[in-house]
Amino acid sequence: MHEPTPATPRANGVELAAVLAAGIGAAALGIFVLLHEAGSYSAPALYAPSGGLSGRTTGAVAVWLVAWVVLATRWRGRELGPTRILAWTLGLTAFALLATFPPLWALL
Amino acid sequence: MLFSTPSVLTMIHGIVLSGGALLALAAALFAVRAMALPDGAPVSQAQGTSFARVTSLAAILLWFAVLGGTYLVFPLYRAAPPEGLTALAAFPRALLMSDPETRWLHAFAMEIKEHMPWIAAMLATAVAVVAHRRRATLLADGPMRRVASALLATTFVIVSFVAILGVFVNKVAPLE
Repeated sequence: MHEPTPATPRANGVELAAVLAAGIGAAALGIFVLLHEAGSYSAPALYAPSGGLSGRTTGAVAVWLVAWVVLATRWRGRELGPTRILAWTLGLTAFALLATFPPLWALL
Repeated sequence: MLFSTPSVLTMIHGIVLSGGALLALAAALFAVRAMALPDGAPVSQAQGTSFARVTSLAAILLWFAVLGGTYLVFPLYRAAPPEGLTALAAFPRALLMSDPETRWLHAFAMEIKEHMPWIAAMLATAVAVVAHRRRATLLADGPMRRVASALLATTFVIVSFVAILGVFVNKVAPLE
């Protein structure tokens, strides 16, 4: 039988690092896609059968993981405002969704 | 054979993994609201752990769906037909692009399917990390619970949208 755990405030920096890093990774993917569609830069195909998609997504995952490690290291033990981090994350995600929305590529 | 290997791969990708992730996301979204407690109230270990597990399940299924989609299913979809071939049923992208009425299924639907699921997988991972690390307090921590809830809702909408597009593509140009 598990006893209820009293909810006590504690540092949330590591958790919010994961949250913001996801937004940064998403935005990185959006940037890779926009650069590709604009003809400025195409990430190399890391797995030929999947074409450039493998390079764009691997690049975005690399940015995501690096951002996560850096933020988690810097924010460890800190208490941050969740609402502000959430707003940034949703903003970055909105950018990523727009950047990966094909009808908008015609504007480039 | 009743089902070809590409067809089985598509079903695993679309129904087992993506469908399973949608179910887990729906369950997590319901749970984060139904099990919410007043700020500072004691959280039962069973509830905190269950919520952490269902968010992890959603993230794991999404990652398998995304990786399988990109590295197993997508190469079959985009395979180029031999020069001069007119029977394009085995080459879904070429089949879609050969008809002006179905071209949007590649130019819009499939292009979205290539990228947006990766965004969903990263967001789902963030929710799983939050749910695991704060499983003892999350359900009674309004601000952090709102973070989890917002990211879950965003992920659910993205995956649902992508899933519908996947159904459209598979209906017109299935991998057989």
